[in-house]
Amino acid sequence: MREQFYKDLADLHAEVVDIVAAVSATTRQSVTSLITGDIDMAIAVIDGDDIIDARCLGVEERVLETIATQFPVARDLRLLTSLTFIAMHLERMADLSVNIAKATRRTAGRQGPQTLYDLIQAQGNLVYRVLDATREALEKRDLELARKLPELDEPIDHLYKQFFRELARLHEEEEIEWASSMVLASRYLERIADNAVDIGERIAYLITGERERSTESGLVPPSAG
Amino acid sequence: MTLDKAAFAHKHHTHIEPLEVKITVRGLNFWYSDFNALTGITVDIKKKAVTAFIGPSGCGKSTFLRCMNRMNDLIPGTRVEGKMHLDGADIYGPGVDPVDLRRRVGMIFQQPNPFPQSIYDNVAYGPRLQGIKKKSDLDQIVEESLRRANVWKEVKDILGRGGLTLSGGQQQRLCIARVLAVQPEVLLMDEPCSAIDPTSVQKIEDLMAELKDTVTIVIVTHNMQQAARVSDFTAFFLQEVAGDPAVLVEYGRTSEIFTSPTDKRTEDYITGRFG
Repeated sequence: MREQFYKDLADLHAEVVDIVAAVSATTRQSVTSLITGDIDMAIAVIDGDDIIDARCLGVEERVLETIATQFPVARDLRLLTSLTFIAMHLERMADLSVNIAKATRRTAGRQGPQTLYDLIQAQGNLVYRVLDATREALEKRDLELARKLPELDEPIDHLYKQFFRELARLHEEEEIEWASSMVLASRYLERIADNAVDIGERIAYLITGERERSTESGLVPPSAG
Repeated sequence: MTLDKAAFAHKHHTHIEPLEVKITVRGLNFWYSDFNALTGITVDIKKKAVTAFIGPSGCGKSTFLRCMNRMNDLIPGTRVEGKMHLDGADIYGPGVDPVDLRRRVGMIFQQPNPFPQSIYDNVAYGPRLQGIKKKSDLDQIVEESLRRANVWKEVKDILGRGGLTLSGGQQQRLCIARVLAVQPEVLLMDEPCSAIDPTSVQKIEDLMAELKDTVTIVIVTHNMQQAARVSDFTAFFLQEVAGDPAVLVEYGRTSEIFTSPTDKRTEDYITGRFG
């Protein structure tokens, strides 16, 4: 048995699960900062991004080292390559929450219609649900949950479209400028969830060894349909 | 598929169209006296490809390899049941001359075994037996065989020296040249790299990649990375309970076996979880 190798794999897996949790927390903070106009919180999100970037890079380096020295195959190899790709997605997701935090800086001190605040909060809540499910699916290697991510993602896309309809109702120039930042934030949230769905595909692959693709009703194996 | 595409696909392990079969095996059982060593082996060995046999010690992979050129016939009390065909003709059929079979299906062993003769005579041995006498013909065969065996540059100026004076790795390549000199269709390699230096291992792996354009290669190896590197197809053998016959657990494209094996026993073995 290759005890140290298995310990390294378990540690890497746990680290990536933990980065998902960190990205989830930073996403929550960025949305809260946007809604409450909390600049300090937004700055904390922006500053914290370096830490997430460094952790993702650390995962990549440890994966490379393990591949170079341990010759992993089969499920071990699938785990390692999947973790690298997942870390890449996580880095992008953290960047997107930084973008939301920057929107906080642009909009702070100004007020817009309550409907849009409600919309972004509702969308945020749905994204948190996707992120929590992503973390759990990766942690427990839960294939069914990973396959459910596209379904959880769907209403987020609908809310993003809803934003445009609300935007069209606005008339004041200042209000429109403010709302544009909100629409962008909504777009970033939608992209965060899309990355999570991609992570779900990686999780399914590391479990089954089969490439699955996203459909509106969930992930399906390549053979189906 | 155009020819170029087919060649590309073959080289990069992406071919989708089935390759021709060189050796067909159906329901093969093998006995050493009353010990049933292998049971129910069914496999198609693909033509002009490298197939690797892997599995823990004692799993019957070398035994199975030696069935393919009837090398086990030399061990008293052995018995084969089932079907094993070379290009559609029964390897164990009546009228098959084992010596002629072993020319068509050559073998390389773990320990290099050159004859105590010159390098030149080692390689010329087979062709001479076949009746080739003309010096220029023999010269040509010797050079070409040594080139294909990736050892020509090292020995071209010392062809008269004894084969046993070479290093182990060079001896092994000399033995490969000796087999190639009689134009085999299949090359069986039984742990050919276990006893030699890394440079020679690299040269043998390189020559395998070149030879498979013309020769069907089957290699038994305990080095899983080597199996992954050199082979197009991999077969995993396992004796699950000591004393029981070994079985062929899984057979498939090497790229799939080493990324997504379908049998848990294969996965556990290649990832080092047992064996």
